Amino acid sequence: MTTFLDLTNAPDADVVTLAQQGREDAFRELIRRYERPVFSLIFRMVRDSATAEDLSQDTFIKILNNIDKYRPEFKFSSWLFKIAHNIAIDFLRRRQLDTISIDGSPHAATAAEAEASTFDIDSGGENALDAMAAKELGSAIERAIGALRPEYRSCIMLRHVEGRSYEEIAATLDLPLGTVKTYIHRARSQLREALEHLRE
Amino acid sequence: MQHRHLLPDEIDQLLDSESGFDVAHLKAHLDACPACAQLLADARVVCDTIEQLQHFAPSPRFSASVMADVQVIEPWHIALTTGAQRLMPASRPMRAVMLASGSLLALGLSAGAVWLSTRPDMTLYAAGLAASRVLRALLDATGTLINDTFGQTALDALHSGSVSRVGLGGVVVLTAIGVATVGLRAAATSARRARE
Repeated sequence: MTTFLDLTNAPDADVVTLAQQGREDAFRELIRRYERPVFSLIFRMVRDSATAEDLSQDTFIKILNNIDKYRPEFKFSSWLFKIAHNIAIDFLRRRQLDTISIDGSPHAATAAEAEASTFDIDSGGENALDAMAAKELGSAIERAIGALRPEYRSCIMLRHVEGRSYEEIAATLDLPLGTVKTYIHRARSQLREALEHLRE
Repeated sequence: MQHRHLLPDEIDQLLDSESGFDVAHLKAHLDACPACAQLLADARVVCDTIEQLQHFAPSPRFSASVMADVQVIEPWHIALTTGAQRLMPASRPMRAVMLASGSLLALGLSAGAVWLSTRPDMTLYAAGLAASRVLRALLDATGTLINDTFGQTALDALHSGSVSRVGLGGVVVLTAIGVATVGLRAAATSARRARE
């Protein structure tokens, strides 16, 4: 009988090693750790919940079915985000959707579906006025991120949501370091301009 | 002294607080330039807001859906180790008994092999005897099949033939079957491709 290990605090490298040894609980731990970050990244790229879930599943299936090909000199999360990014970009190129609408999924067939797929930014722990301001800012940011080019969008998400360094982003997206800095700089500039009206 | 405002790259350096970059002079400029300080503050608000964006969660069945399409394969060497560990008893005294028994068995087999190696004639005789017994048993079990396929003459030849001759005949038959199988598969593949 296989004994179940508590892998919650184990480093990624150890969990991946166990997965390469055929431990099913290691596979599940990797999914548990990264399902939300991967889904969030892809969701903000393609802006449709069902599509994002399908693409996220494809990402994990591809990664886990090729877990024996993982090279430990690279971070597992970087490899995972690279695959997720490529799958999302391929989808966008096939669908020729370069921008996304904050106001509901473009695939929504009814008002209820559109409402269900709008971003609803929740703030936590502030008074009502601050909460409203934070919500307005958060919604505006999501709107502005949706208007960015996909390359800028993924760079800014990896930098500020996932906390990756410039070097990690360059390795993940297979881009030169200078290009990553340029993309992030341009993304920040465009986001600042888009939020200009909130400061007036 | 020339006064210039911070360049966009320099604002980014301050935002990223990258180690190794010389930001001391940039920070000194901020103390003297309210416009650049405001620019940096505005940029920081944008970055802070992005960093507070929530992670969205997929459906509760996400993990199960992924695992349904993932092939969890245990490498053969891991399966061997795991299987051996399962055979080991849990208690220490029983493990000691198992280790002692295994050691005695290995010692006995090693001693037997060494003894046989010093008596090659006896080894050859024993091997030949065992092979002919196996051959007889095999022919008894498959006699009807051989008779129906190749005829009584072939069966009689096998009964009267030596072990080496029968073995050679078996190799020829198996090789013919293998070649026929490969040839048929290749023919089927080419026919399917031709249809496509």
